[in-house]
Amino acid sequence: MDGRLTAGTGATDATRPGARSLHRFANPGRFLRATGRLMPFLWAAAVLVLGFGLVWGLVLSPADWQQGETVRIMYVHVPMAWLAMGGYTGLAVLSVMSLIWRHPLADLTARELSPVGAAATALCLATGSLWGKPMWGTWWVWDARLTSVLVLFFLWLGHAALVRAFDDAERGARAGAILALVGIVNVPIVKFSVDWWNTLHQPASVTRLNAPGMHVDILYPLLVCALGFSLLFGAVVLARTRAAVMERRVRALQLARARREDAVA
Amino acid sequence: MTHKKRRRLMVLLLAGLGLGTATALTLTAFQDNIVFFFSPSDVLANRPAGERAFRLGGLVEAGSVERGTGTDGRPAATFRVTDGAQAITVTYTGVLPDLFREGQGVVTLGRLLPDNTFRASEVLARHDETYMPPEVADALRRAGHWNPAQGAAPPAETWNTAPRDGRSGG
Amino acid sequence: MTLHWWHITASYALVLGTFGALAVGAALRHRAAKRLLATLDPRGERA
Repeated sequence: MDGRLTAGTGATDATRPGARSLHRFANPGRFLRATGRLMPFLWAAAVLVLGFGLVWGLVLSPADWQQGETVRIMYVHVPMAWLAMGGYTGLAVLSVMSLIWRHPLADLTARELSPVGAAATALCLATGSLWGKPMWGTWWVWDARLTSVLVLFFLWLGHAALVRAFDDAERGARAGAILALVGIVNVPIVKFSVDWWNTLHQPASVTRLNAPGMHVDILYPLLVCALGFSLLFGAVVLARTRAAVMERRVRALQLARARREDAVA
Repeated sequence: MTHKKRRRLMVLLLAGLGLGTATALTLTAFQDNIVFFFSPSDVLANRPAGERAFRLGGLVEAGSVERGTGTDGRPAATFRVTDGAQAITVTYTGVLPDLFREGQGVVTLGRLLPDNTFRASEVLARHDETYMPPEVADALRRAGHWNPAQGAAPPAETWNTAPRDGRSGG
Repeated sequence: MTLHWWHITASYALVLGTFGALAVGAALRHRAAKRLLATLDPRGERA
């Protein structure tokens, strides 16, 4: 058992020997070792795939028959929308792990995830606005899709603020997890708003794998960009989480050193 | 799973069930307020009281667009918005969005006049979910498979891997 | 440059600028934490 590494977080059942199977990655040392080898490959893959996808989308892909060149905004807008929703679903999974299993790494990851998710959602709104002005004729309308994405942005921001608002990190994580799980009802609303109600925003193009309403010369660069942004998003969140684990360890070591010096003096 | 964890899981599931039900009920109750626009059929069947402003949406009917110049010198247009069953004539003074054309979806904000014409103060274009290169759209039109002014594009599987000029589809 | 290209350029600049800043920020924070940990724990017990 490796209680030394979780020093400062309070004893959780993650460190009890009996809980090992569910908590293989709850052990911070093991988490750092496992992800440390992965990090350089993740950064490299993100940069390569994204670079390739963006050149494809910005230069090589065709214009759209009615939207013209402006369709290229889609290659950044749609990945941001997918990350905003997929990332939030990930936050909800982390919150379940936090509330039921009191998984300390889930708390740390959620804390590091929400600012990045908020950024992706803000970018989704901003690029959507830049796309809507020339195409629809307006920067913004209060239709069900746009409004529910704005709510998603506030949920991300709320989570990021709430987990940092408590002196006791564990209480903050608990409150944030509850907020994230309450907010999950908004994810299907975002997804299906364009089908349930009439909206200015068009319905999804990429729904079925066999026949999306999108020509392959536009679809493939979109999928490559989405993969590239997902890899970059994952790399950023993982790097932040690793940094947070190491910072926690640093604080524990500094505390231990200060105590030793007190004892000597 | 220990007893404590199972209890936490049950509490979470129950709370989720309650929250989901509450949300579904709320959304159903506010159904009418969440729609962004009304179709011509909605409007003619259930005429809004008085001079209340609302949004009318549908497709621009083929052959109905007349462009001119308004009394103040700004561009003006008259067109019919249809949902297939009913159509309403819309008048608008101002610059139409780039995507505006016959067969295109539009959402207009304005008031219904007593003679059942709609005086719009804002016209937004609504684009559909098809994305295709201009060459492919031209080929479909030339082959007589699609007239964009008449309606939606043919099923995606008939064109979404069609080669562009001098290039393979992939 | 047409208005449409301005909107495209602004979109790409916003997204790449923000994600670039997030990535550089995360990498710098990661490196700083790693160095500090290495000085406090030179035997590298964590690895």
